[in-house]
Amino acid sequence: MWKQLKKHRSSSSASSASCGESLSEEELARILEQVEDKKKLIATMRSKPWPMARKLAELREAQEFVEKYEGALGKGKGKRLYACRMLMAKKWAKFKRDFDNFKTQCIPWEMKIKDIESHFGSSVASYFIFLRWMYGVNLVLFGLIFGLVIIPEVLMGMPYGSIPRKTVPRAEEEKAMDFSVLWDFEGYIKYSALFYGYYNNQRTIGWLRYRLPMAYFMVGVSVFGYSLMIVIRSMASNTQGSTSEGENDNFTFSFKMFTSWDYLIGNSETADSKYASITTSFKESIVDEQESNKEENVHLTRFLRVLANFLIICCLCGSGYLIYFVVKRSQEFSKMQNISWYERNEVEIVMSLLGMFCPPLFETIAALENYHPRIGLKWQLGRIFALFLGNLYTFLLALMDDVHLKVKTTNFPPIPSAHHISFLKYNTFLVYNVHELKKFWKVDRPSCSFGSDVPASRKSVVAPLSDVDVHSPQRKFPTVPIALFCSCLFICYLADCELSKEFMRLTVSDMLVTYITILLGDFLRACFVRFMNYCWCWDLEAGFPSYAEFDISGNVLGLIFNQGMIWMGSFYAPGLVGINVLRLLTSMYFQCWAVMSSNVPHERVFKASRSNNFYMGLLLLVLFLSLLPVAYTIMSLPPSFDCGPFSGKNRMYDVIQETIENDFPTFLGKIFAFLANPGLIIPAILLMFLAIYYLNSVSKSLSRSNAQLRKKIQALREIEKSHKSVKGRATARDSEETANGNSKNSTQLQLPKEGTMRHSASQSQTLDQKAQGPEASSSAGKAVPPASQHLPISRSPGARTGSGQARPQAHPWRSASGKSAQRPRH
Amino acid sequence: MGSRASTLLRDEELEEIKKETGCEFGQITRLYSRFTSLDKGENGTLREDQVNFRGFMRTLAHFRPIEDNEKSKDVNGPEPLNSRSNKLHFAFRLYDLDKDDKISRDELLQVLRMMVGVNISDEQLGSIADRTIQEADQDGDSAISFTEFVKVLEKVDVEQKMSIRFLH
Repeated sequence: MWKQLKKHRSSSSASSASCGESLSEEELARILEQVEDKKKLIATMRSKPWPMARKLAELREAQEFVEKYEGALGKGKGKRLYACRMLMAKKWAKFKRDFDNFKTQCIPWEMKIKDIESHFGSSVASYFIFLRWMYGVNLVLFGLIFGLVIIPEVLMGMPYGSIPRKTVPRAEEEKAMDFSVLWDFEGYIKYSALFYGYYNNQRTIGWLRYRLPMAYFMVGVSVFGYSLMIVIRSMASNTQGSTSEGENDNFTFSFKMFTSWDYLIGNSETADSKYASITTSFKESIVDEQESNKEENVHLTRFLRVLANFLIICCLCGSGYLIYFVVKRSQEFSKMQNISWYERNEVEIVMSLLGMFCPPLFETIAALENYHPRIGLKWQLGRIFALFLGNLYTFLLALMDDVHLKVKTTNFPPIPSAHHISFLKYNTFLVYNVHELKKFWKVDRPSCSFGSDVPASRKSVVAPLSDVDVHSPQRKFPTVPIALFCSCLFICYLADCELSKEFMRLTVSDMLVTYITILLGDFLRACFVRFMNYCWCWDLEAGFPSYAEFDISGNVLGLIFNQGMIWMGSFYAPGLVGINVLRLLTSMYFQCWAVMSSNVPHERVFKASRSNNFYMGLLLLVLFLSLLPVAYTIMSLPPSFDCGPFSGKNRMYDVIQETIENDFPTFLGKIFAFLANPGLIIPAILLMFLAIYYLNSVSKSLSRSNAQLRKKIQALREIEKSHKSVKGRATARDSEETANGNSKNSTQLQLPKEGTMRHSASQSQTLDQKAQGPEASSSAGKAVPPASQHLPISRSPGARTGSGQARPQAHPWRSASGKSAQRPRH
Repeated sequence: MGSRASTLLRDEELEEIKKETGCEFGQITRLYSRFTSLDKGENGTLREDQVNFRGFMRTLAHFRPIEDNEKSKDVNGPEPLNSRSNKLHFAFRLYDLDKDDKISRDELLQVLRMMVGVNISDEQLGSIADRTIQEADQDGDSAISFTEFVKVLEKVDVEQKMSIRFLH
């Protein structure tokens, strides 16, 4: 303590000396030393054996000293800079910490999602996390479009009413403000900055000379670019997490045993569902085991599978032909005068009936095939997808004939209004149908997988397809890919100014349908079950309607496909992304409320682990599908003559050409022309293909070597296992024999064991570890045998892998010593 | 740190807890206020298990996320409570009901019964337990020791799964 006081006094003397001019060399050195001492003191303060009050006092003093003099350590002019640098470094560290905390607190809706997770499990919560991510992406896209296209147009473009394309025509003017007209996206909304048709083709606008058409084009392209980048980045980060999981063949039952309980569950109802799901998962593994041990009559199975596939192909062709026939008939009907309701809607009715009855038919045929339930389910999904795509193609083919006919007879690109109206009707009809189908199938679907082993649980149970809930994808699959694909093709025929309106309408109608379905299907149903239960004959809660479960895959797929629609439409309707942002926001609050108030946790509460990349992959596919038609129209179709920012040009991308010619210096123009030369682009593309091929082969070889290493480790493990069990028995026998003629000292038990086991290298290695084992295992609590001291310690690197083996050696030893203790000592 | 809760927690204790668990001051005070709100009888322990605040902190410290810069700090000192090995030890103690450092077949049966209720027959549970031991056991003693447990879970990302990020 005296030393501390002395230092204190000397430091205060140093302070008085430095008040005036710059310090001399020895003073500088002394201060440096003192500062170092103080720093060391601060670092080791915790371990000093002083009372708390004294520690705090010393700490404060040392910190003040360091702060005061650290700046003085820089020599001459550099001293200020040094002080500044230290200060900046500290402030920066503090700022980074605070910013990290702030970022964590800023994550929106975190508490809501955690609440849902504790009630419903992590799979339902993953839907909301996906929704939140989608909201973020849309917000960025909206910022881009709003900031770079809409705001400049509103601020600097020609005002409403100045040119024909920006004015409501006189004929429509009285009705233009009516709500019904506005709801239909006609009237004043149609002639606003939300739509493609409003924009003027002036090259520069305003006093900033903002190049609006160029900006419109670039923003359209960058919307796709940004979305692509962010989806792929998300997929890549997902795969990084999952590669460490790897092959789990070895420890299936151990994994289920030790890792299946979800400790984040905070609600007893969810816990009950978790019981049921763990039960199911164990039974599934049992079935897996049984399946793998099953014997097969190869030829019969093969014949039956071929027969089943043949029958299914017949069904598919039959349904395609039926649709073609019905569409042709409807075209004849449309020429007639008085047609009944049935004849008017025949196409939609037939298509929905096909969609309702073919899948169960496929399933009954598939019973012939006798596949493992999981594989059978994949086949089923594939066949249903083929059914719907096939129906779609035949439908469009049948329509195309008609449209081609019309194109030939009239000279301008037609707006095939009859057909596109019927397409929209079909779409909405299917959407309604799908929600109906969901309820129908969930209740009555027979369980086809386990046979008599599984007791009938309340709802049907189907073998898991990893973690994906398979009921709904096959129902949601049809609607929106059809809509997307149809829009792809109809884009070519519809004028671009008309298209934007259709997209808006479709988005809004889809949103409304979803909300209404949730309200009716979930909320009203829950109210009905809750309140009518008192006066109903059977138990509504346990029996037929009961409470709805949250349909994860249906909702996720709906979200994905709607995003596809938005991507396709955003080029033609800049306001669409804004509407989507609003829609996602309301959807978040609405669905959070609906889930908590009217849904019950799933029967099979599963973890949301590996299916995330499935949905991301689907999102990527949808992004490409929606990119294609837009790219096609940009490249090949001439824009409309009288509306939009590209009007009057030959092709939309001419705007880039124009900008390069007029705004950039000439040498840049030459460079761009050089780069755009096909002679340069084709080799570049070839190079990229070669790079892909090379990286692919590298990754394949790496994964092959990975698999080989894994096999080697497994083989080693098997050998060790059999070795250990043999040796375990051998040592038990040995120690029994040697225990007979032994005296009290436990170390003497070891020596004979050493003698018997010295003959092989691995055994002597294990001997070292056995000796070191009792030292290493703290929980063993045994005295260190003195005999271990003369054993070579150079084998310690091997001790790490072998330390596991030390223990088992201790056991026969322990049992042996136990036995020796039992025998009377002579 | 002038809140009501911190006056009940002395500075020395704070220091000790910080050294033992590696949590920051802010985290410890926040967790202390949570602890007092859970402790409805105000007798300093949580209801059923008679866990006091130190025990509470010690358990929670296992779930602190592992940070990279920690690994270089204290090579010679005792292992921090949130290392992978300690996390696995925590999980092991959950299943080792009689605390003899082995998970025997009976313990597995008890745990299975707790996880599954009455939905699976005893015979099937017995076979599941046997199969589990067969998969994991390497030394043939029909029980799962800690090292075998570690080997079973070596591919599981325990550092990430057994981590809860406390708000700073």
